Amino acid sequence: MASAWCWSCLSRLRPTTRAFAPTPAATPRITSAPFHSTAVQYANPVKKKSTLVANKYRQGQILKRKKKTKTERARPPAVGERKALRKRIVLSNPNALEIEGMKDLSPETMVDARLRGTVVGLPVATLDRLRAVQAFKPKQGWPIFRRPGTVLRRDTLEMGRLFEKISGDGDALEKGKVVKKIITGSKGSGKTVHLLQAMTMGFLKNWIVITVPDARDLVCGDTAYSPIEGSKPTQYDQPNAVSALLTRTVEANREVLSSLKVSQKHAGLPGLKPTSTLEDLAKLGFQDAALSWKVFQALWAEFNATAAAPGMEKNFEARPPMLVAVDGLAHWMTESAYKASDFTPVHAHDLIFVQHFLSLLKGQSLKNGGMLLYATSTSNNPSSYSLEVGLNQLAARQAGIAPDSEEYPQPENYSKPDSRVLDIFKPDTAKDGLELQTLGGLTRDEARGFLEYFAQSGLLRESVNEEWVGEKWTLSGGGIIGELEKLGRHVRTAAPQPVAQPVAAAN
Amino acid sequence: MPPRLNLFSANKAVLALRQPTVPSVASRSIALPLRFRAEQTTPAQKRWNSSKKEPNPDEQMFPTQDQLPDVSEEAAEIDRIMNKEKSCDGQPAHPELEQGTPVEEQILQRDEEAMKHMPKVMQQQLKKTKGTRSFSTSTRSNQPGVEDSLQADASAALLADMIQQVNSQALERNPGLKFDAPEIPTKTMNFRKRYDSLQEQFTKMLMQDGKLARAQNNMSIILDHLRTSSAPNPNPRRPLIGGPPAPQLPLDPVLYLTLIVDSVAPLFRIRQVKGIAGGGTAVQIPHPLNLRQRRRAAIKWIIDASDKRRDAQLAHRVANELVSVAEGRSGVWDRRDGQHKMGISGRANLGLAPRRR
Repeated sequence: MASAWCWSCLSRLRPTTRAFAPTPAATPRITSAPFHSTAVQYANPVKKKSTLVANKYRQGQILKRKKKTKTERARPPAVGERKALRKRIVLSNPNALEIEGMKDLSPETMVDARLRGTVVGLPVATLDRLRAVQAFKPKQGWPIFRRPGTVLRRDTLEMGRLFEKISGDGDALEKGKVVKKIITGSKGSGKTVHLLQAMTMGFLKNWIVITVPDARDLVCGDTAYSPIEGSKPTQYDQPNAVSALLTRTVEANREVLSSLKVSQKHAGLPGLKPTSTLEDLAKLGFQDAALSWKVFQALWAEFNATAAAPGMEKNFEARPPMLVAVDGLAHWMTESAYKASDFTPVHAHDLIFVQHFLSLLKGQSLKNGGMLLYATSTSNNPSSYSLEVGLNQLAARQAGIAPDSEEYPQPENYSKPDSRVLDIFKPDTAKDGLELQTLGGLTRDEARGFLEYFAQSGLLRESVNEEWVGEKWTLSGGGIIGELEKLGRHVRTAAPQPVAQPVAAAN
Repeated sequence: MPPRLNLFSANKAVLALRQPTVPSVASRSIALPLRFRAEQTTPAQKRWNSSKKEPNPDEQMFPTQDQLPDVSEEAAEIDRIMNKEKSCDGQPAHPELEQGTPVEEQILQRDEEAMKHMPKVMQQQLKKTKGTRSFSTSTRSNQPGVEDSLQADASAALLADMIQQVNSQALERNPGLKFDAPEIPTKTMNFRKRYDSLQEQFTKMLMQDGKLARAQNNMSIILDHLRTSSAPNPNPRRPLIGGPPAPQLPLDPVLYLTLIVDSVAPLFRIRQVKGIAGGGTAVQIPHPLNLRQRRRAAIKWIIDASDKRRDAQLAHRVANELVSVAEGRSGVWDRRDGQHKMGISGRANLGLAPRRR
């Protein structure tokens, strides 16, 4: 039946009588006391107790909060304590396991191709000398092993063979050769440790080892500098830095220097006797910093002497080959932090110390043979476009591209390359030219040997097998040794086995 | 004491339940005629004005295009016009429009003459409006009855028997469960984590100002310190729980760290509950902690204690504190003992605590 009601009106109809269906508005009312005229819900809500302090008369509200008690340490660490902590070099961890049958680096092992990929220990006798030339850097991971050791990789063995040749042990033809290398490579590829291996080999072969552990120290403006009178363009001397270099050299090479006698007369060094040793000569330099540069020049002349001056032949002994190692070359390829008198920045090449070491890259610089190893760095490194171009040119020449061909890398137009930097990398007429050595990753076998060293030291609790090593080799960017080291010492336990879920209880 | 059950909120909940759900049903029945009506009325209201673009000849509508509406629609339309004021907003809410109206209702009731000359079938129907419907008009259920077919098929009955038997067996094996309990995957099964869980938790708690990388660096210094410092000389009164003998600990620094933290982790925290004892005094009630919470408490104590040390670096302070915990010298042990003592005395108050959901 059609109803008389409009359908929409029906749907909107609200029951009004309470007995019929209680309206929603009526339900919440608690009418416990029907004689009340005011519904309970209209009453003010019960106030919470305020956390504020109660108001007193004529007094504002005060919010009281507890003050955080700061624990005061008695005193800040002493001056230099933090830096000492940062620069501290620890070479031994008594907790790590001793590896049985671990060989030392020695004149025999450093050329033994069968040992490739194994870790050999640095001989204990050289450790103090290596410390003296600052070969170890903090954060190289030495402190977690029982004793310091390095992996014999391909580059190491090749370098060992070079040391043998230049020392004249193998065939006499190569004796007295000068090898000049610039070592590059990606971050963590082992450039600095390569230098350390070279220094160790130098000590083992009784070479004279001279190092600049961080090229930055000479250009960052930390050491004193003074212009050299009469030089044009003005050159600068850094007496303290030279003095430190002499100290390092004497400490590390005391045995060699004390056995060699002065072979020439050196003007301006009154304390020098004809019978004094090279050690005495060097000591003059670090007793008086003002004399240091002169002493260094004299010492350098003595190192390179092939024959004694007339009248002094009696005590002359042939000088051993020299190893010169510089780390962080890029710092020397820009302007330094020093200022000239007209407040223009001093170019690094105007510092006579720097200039001396860079000039070695040209010509027959080491008369008695030896090796120049200049490594670039990838950490805390200034960007030098000219150095980049120079290294590219060097790489191109090594790959057989002629300097006059079109493919030969040139600096881009308007890039304002530093001509003094590019001059260093120009083709040399000398017999022993500059070489570029790029360090890459370890091979899988070498990586395995390296990781086994971790496992044998008790630092790594994994089974070192082909698969696992392959995984780590890939993760380390193709055997970049710095990354491998991180993976080796990386502390990670295997994921815990899933615990069986207890069966749910009934209901 | 205030009543436990809040009647105000309870009533609101009931209100929400009781709200009529008209719109969901009605909207469908109302919307359809609306649309229909719009179609009907647009041609009449449309004004052809010259400024507008002429529509395509295909789209054009002509007055004769639409045929006249059927009887019921016409009636509805008339009704709407006539009773516009009565129906509140003029919405035709007649359900007849979508369902159609039986002829006898719409026309024959009004017209008595027509009723007399009504077809015979309709007359018969009018007579027996009450009673059961004939079979042809009754709805059939969509699915054929399962029971019927099962009864008919003997093999199906056998199958049902077997199913029932298996179900009852499963019930016996796992009371309360029809099937075996599903295996819930643990967290670590799904992906591999880079760090051990405790190491990660400790690192995150070492973090200051959101500098996670720095915290990780500090953690590696701490682990190296644990690795290189001499093996702990444990105090027999405060031994580390489980684990390998002390001289072997430095070689596994993460395990060493875990043992240290777990050894000083409290079993519960103390909740200060006001208002159950009366008189405004707070009652101490022990509250059990899970593993992660226990570790968190221990790590916090260790880091707090390390703040009082004099070493220059944060990592060294924490590392030295950890070693002193391992050797039983640290104040963290006292803190844990105090906590446990309070918890034991507070056990009596457990019954007073209001039950929590």
